[in-house]
Amino acid sequence: MIGYYISLAMRSLRGTPILSTLMIAAIAVGVGACMTVLTLNYMMSQNALAHKDDVLYAVQLDGWDPNEAADTANELPWQLTYQDATALLRSDIPTRQVAMHRFGFTITLDESEMRPFTADARITTADFFGLFDVPFLFGGTWNADADFSPVQQVVLSKATNDKVFGGENSVGKTINLNGEPFTVVGIIDHWNPSPKVYDLNNNPFADSEEIYIPFGLHRKFEIYSWGNTNGWSHSNEEGYEGFLQGESVWVQYWVELDTAAQKEKYEEYLTGYIRQQKEQGRFQRPLKFALSKPSEWLVLNEVLRDDNRVLGWLSLAFLLVCVVNAVALLLAKFLRKAPEAGVRRALGASRNAIFIQHLIESSCIGVLGGLLGILLSLLGLGGVRQLAMGRIDQIASMDWLMVLAAIGLAVLASLLAGLYPAWRISRTNPSIYLKTQ
Amino acid sequence: MFELKPMLSALWRNKISALLIALQLALTLAIVSNATVIVQDRLEKIARPTGIAVSDIISVTFMPVPVNYDMASAVAADLELLRNMPGVMDATVTNQIPLSGSGSASTYFTEPNQEIGGENANYYQTDEHFIDTLGLNLVAGRNFTRADFDVIGPNDTYEPRVAIITQKFADVMFPGEDAVGKFFYSGGDGKPREIIGVVERHLGAWPSWSKAGQVAFYPLLVTGNHKRYLIRTEPGQRDVVYKQIEEKLAERDPQRVIHLDTLSKKMAQSYVSDNVMVKVLSAVMTLLTFIVALGIIGLTIFWINQRSKQIGVRRALGATRANISRYFLVENTLIAGTGLVIGMAAAQVINHFMVNQFSQPALSMATLLICAAILLSVSVTAALAPAIRAANISPAMATRSV
Repeated sequence: MIGYYISLAMRSLRGTPILSTLMIAAIAVGVGACMTVLTLNYMMSQNALAHKDDVLYAVQLDGWDPNEAADTANELPWQLTYQDATALLRSDIPTRQVAMHRFGFTITLDESEMRPFTADARITTADFFGLFDVPFLFGGTWNADADFSPVQQVVLSKATNDKVFGGENSVGKTINLNGEPFTVVGIIDHWNPSPKVYDLNNNPFADSEEIYIPFGLHRKFEIYSWGNTNGWSHSNEEGYEGFLQGESVWVQYWVELDTAAQKEKYEEYLTGYIRQQKEQGRFQRPLKFALSKPSEWLVLNEVLRDDNRVLGWLSLAFLLVCVVNAVALLLAKFLRKAPEAGVRRALGASRNAIFIQHLIESSCIGVLGGLLGILLSLLGLGGVRQLAMGRIDQIASMDWLMVLAAIGLAVLASLLAGLYPAWRISRTNPSIYLKTQ
Repeated sequence: MFELKPMLSALWRNKISALLIALQLALTLAIVSNATVIVQDRLEKIARPTGIAVSDIISVTFMPVPVNYDMASAVAADLELLRNMPGVMDATVTNQIPLSGSGSASTYFTEPNQEIGGENANYYQTDEHFIDTLGLNLVAGRNFTRADFDVIGPNDTYEPRVAIITQKFADVMFPGEDAVGKFFYSGGDGKPREIIGVVERHLGAWPSWSKAGQVAFYPLLVTGNHKRYLIRTEPGQRDVVYKQIEEKLAERDPQRVIHLDTLSKKMAQSYVSDNVMVKVLSAVMTLLTFIVALGIIGLTIFWINQRSKQIGVRRALGATRANISRYFLVENTLIAGTGLVIGMAAAQVINHFMVNQFSQPALSMATLLICAAILLSVSVTAALAPAIRAANISPAMATRSV
């Protein structure tokens, strides 16, 4: 029976080509606009660390200006000072912990024709790879002592290894960073979470770093962060050491706490640490710190911005207008064919049968509109990608879930649109139409 | 004269269809008017004057490869080379590129050793060529001289003695006074910085910052592991010069990585989210209006077909073609007007939500009325062609199949 209804629907669609095209176009445009915006919002709301959401925490401490709270969503500085980060690293409570920030190096090779280039670097403690589940292709991370003493070792991303060493296992080889030799100890596999939940200070949709360097090299290379450095007080100490011991925040800090007991213990540890610092005249604000899960961290950092939400609501409203439009057109179309329905009723079709037949006709419009809508949203995403000048290349693409959602949305929209017209036509009195024939 | 009574009773018989059109127009007005204020707001933001000759400027960032690099001599030699290139008007060294989204800011005070009540400003370390290179307008005082210029290492403690600031920052620090010759201080610090000049305008590093335009400049070179140059070319020469710069700099000293950009591109990148918003919302508004217009055309045609017998009867009874066309146009205006009135209320409600939840700009009555007028004319235009066609229905229709 359904097959017959579908063939009836297709025949009826062909019978009124202009009206049918209008309806399909309305649904397609609505679905296309909606899916373009919803796909972007959906991709921006991804949490690459969802599988470890219960055990990972971003650490914030309130050592900010006694006169004024930090200008962030939870009034705590996003990052830590170098002195606090190195102090916290001494705790053995967390299973893993990472102190890190963004940096950059020039890369050269001895006896090579390769042009020097600059690489985005992450200066980090060794736990980075374990804590964020970064897969290794060759080798592994450096020893933990490289986090505290200057050891010139480096982990390369797959892309960097491909570029510099042609993709071979380069563990043990040497590359020059800012002219200094570094030994390659590991190569990670392709790994590019987006949004970049572990570093939301810098563009959250940027690519992962190209090289990873141990945390113990600050003094040797006099490294300043390439990310945000925020300060409120002027250090009295001179030189690079003065910068390291100052109150500027520029180190991102994450811990892995596997059990509730461990978390409680770590909270006690942080409380104790801040109390002890207060005695030394630091941390003059009320005692406050925060441990945020990856999902909370994404919300706190407003990765999905107000503008994106506005576009999300607007696109839903847009789809609503398209549905109302389709209701009006379907009503017109069905009423025009009311005599046909009258004859079918007179020949014994039940009201339900008429109702179902017309609903199927509107869902045919929905499927066609949905397919066209997917094409339109691919076009829309391409357009937005162009407009965004490469900032969101990673997220402006549809996965299969979004393709299914697009068709689902289109069918739902057209069923919703067909509901009233189909009901109306199934309630008409057949005798009127029979008389005028 | 407008046959309102029969029109209303006809509408009543088709109330659902009429209601659907009115509803579409109401929703469209609510969306379009709210999108319009956002687009207006962003366009105004993007169009703000920067004070900078953006379209003629090229930015260069370079990172030397060797560890112990003589940055001060390299900068001097590079600038000499760049300034003597044909097509180049001037060049300057800077710690950050204006309008690029990267920069430094600090809090400044009018009294020594003050700790609260300061004002924020974006700051640049540059040299005496920055005014000419950026195309700024010095409105008071004097430019830096070579004697003001200092070179320090990245870890040296140093307090600048002189500064040039923007008019906007001067107005915030010394409202109603002449800032030239006045002193200002960094937080918790007693060392005075004398303001020797004021430039009319410089939007700074972050165009979206609430304090954008509050900028201070110091005559200083901090040697570090990378430096930046700004190069201003003769009008129209930018792209020619752009192609030569990397080669010339590499020729002088190959031991470094050089990265070039135009300032126009940097600025476009800073405004990218505003630009996306403007383009996406404009596309949504256009498509929406288009779809609604198509819907109105479709439905008007359907109504006219349904009532072709009645039209024939009216024509046979003496109604002119104009009467028939006018009937459908007035009917359409009536429906659209009702929808738009509902839409105006809905627009206000939605705008209230937008302002409170998503910090978007408020909707003015003028914008709302203009949007409503535009939609009304779209609706009438959409009904025009079917209405004129309706007038062509022959009176003979009245005699058929009754």
